[in-house]
Amino acid sequence: MRYITIALSKGRLTELSIDLLEGAGLDCSELKENSRKLILSDEKNKVRFFLAKPADVPVYVEYGAADIGIVGKDTLLEEGRDLYEVLNLGFAKCRMCVAGPRELEGKMDSITITRVATKYPEIARNYFRHKRRESVEIIKLSGSVELAPLVGLSEVIVDLVETGRTLKENGLVVLDTIADISARMVVNRVSMKMENERIRRLIDAIRAQLKE
Amino acid sequence: MKRWSIYTPEGVQDILFEQCRIKRKLEAGLRRLFTSYGFIEMETPTIEFYDAFGGEIGLIRQESMYKFCDGKGRLLVLRPDLTIPIARVVATRVREESLPLKCCYIGNTFCFDELGGGKQNEFTQAGVEILGIHSPEADAEVISMAVKAVKACGLEDFQIDIGQVDFFKGIMEKSGLSPDEVEEVRELIDRKDFVAVEQVMNRHEVSDDLKALILDLPRLFGNKDILAGISRDPIGEKASAALDYLQKVLDILEDRGMGRYVSIDLGMVQSLNYYTGIVFRGYTYGVGFPILSGGRYDGLVSKFGKDCPATGFSMGINMIMMALERQGRIENGDCQGILITYEEGARKYADAYCEKVVAEGGIAELDIGMGGLEACLKYARAKGLEKVLLFRADGNFETFERSTDL
Repeated sequence: MRYITIALSKGRLTELSIDLLEGAGLDCSELKENSRKLILSDEKNKVRFFLAKPADVPVYVEYGAADIGIVGKDTLLEEGRDLYEVLNLGFAKCRMCVAGPRELEGKMDSITITRVATKYPEIARNYFRHKRRESVEIIKLSGSVELAPLVGLSEVIVDLVETGRTLKENGLVVLDTIADISARMVVNRVSMKMENERIRRLIDAIRAQLKE
Repeated sequence: MKRWSIYTPEGVQDILFEQCRIKRKLEAGLRRLFTSYGFIEMETPTIEFYDAFGGEIGLIRQESMYKFCDGKGRLLVLRPDLTIPIARVVATRVREESLPLKCCYIGNTFCFDELGGGKQNEFTQAGVEILGIHSPEADAEVISMAVKAVKACGLEDFQIDIGQVDFFKGIMEKSGLSPDEVEEVRELIDRKDFVAVEQVMNRHEVSDDLKALILDLPRLFGNKDILAGISRDPIGEKASAALDYLQKVLDILEDRGMGRYVSIDLGMVQSLNYYTGIVFRGYTYGVGFPILSGGRYDGLVSKFGKDCPATGFSMGINMIMMALERQGRIENGDCQGILITYEEGARKYADAYCEKVVAEGGIAELDIGMGGLEACLKYARAKGLEKVLLFRADGNFETFERSTDL
């Protein structure tokens, strides 16, 4: 039997992903030890795991270096990879939003936005191009995006909003919601066909837990 | 100024020695296979007008083509595809009596897309097309050529997934969804995003049994029993006829001994503006991308001014090579042949021997002034030749074998 390789997102999705995989009958004990090994395995079920930066998970899966991945919808939208998106795992819920100063509330359609700061340039570009039919300058930042409108770097931002607390504390409001985000299970298009039976069994076992 | 002279541009590569030998061998095997089954080879230009692919024809994305201008300022492209030029040829240069036409091609295509995973900006495609006939037998013939082609390349573990875009189109007509909604559902089914399909369908008034089928579409792949499980009542005439057609193709493939390589995917709904019936893709282990794809494209030739049904497939040679390598199926190809060197006065004996070996189908090379036996032995070692012959002035020769002397 060939190994099925699963790529997990390093960070806030890791633990919940492991819980689901364990619930589906996989042995993740090696994964839970704090080891320095990069690739861990469940020899009985012939499954290998590795942890990767979230943005890299869809890349590994698209190229078939991993058969399955668990990753946030935000990363999938940003990376735009050609994958099967088979399950909404429901955890790590939040929204991808356009946010800006309170003065802009309700005025999105009447003002012209020229600069948008974000960690998600592709999502921002697609939203402004297709939904709003506007050409804007996208400014890519690596963190604390809320700062940008406050110091005059951009008029608005595109970012993940979980509770909205950071926005509120900085006098910003959500102007529009681009997409609902949560963790997803993705599968390589070839693996889904070549390992149909085993992958479907795993999907069903995880789906069963989600319904509980 | 930075000097680029010693580099190659991104996305193109030198294919050298052993790699080149393997690639040519694959190409030769495919050419022999296609022509043995009556496909005639065709060569179209590397450069074509942009209008044949983009613009009004609208088949290939503008961003993915290499463009430049001719002397009259007209936009040219490096061909991004080999099927579209064949459609152009058939619409403009092939007489009615010559149809149906079975043709094949092996050639390089060019595409600006993301690189990696075996994808390059310049890549070799091999394929066949059958034009001028609409029949399940023709679709089955193309699929069976695809199976034979993969086997001819030396791959055994592979699978051809067959879909039918008319089935999807038929169901969508029946559902009454608007074109935009159909496109949304198509994208979601293509991604096998079960949940989102359900969310979209719950917004619409569609009969329960038809809705159940649409929700099931992302799951309708696997072995051929799937077809029998589909209830014909809610799906309408078009979708029902599409399934009958697919069943006929499968029966033909079964009779022709291809059954074990074939499976079904009714959720295969990519490129609907191109394909009009049966579609298929080939997969194997080791590469995350399809190694071949094809299907029926009855609307393509008419874009060039003549109605003509057509079906075909094309295979990515570079992907096949990667699959062979990853599956450890590249055979060890020691360089064949002998090197013939000679002492003064023995040139004519050496040359006669060399000609004799070549005439008998062997590989022989004459010393090109390498400067003595030692240099010849060194050359033969580096190249992996079988032996070196040293001719004496009396016409006799001494042999140095690879296994013992080199």
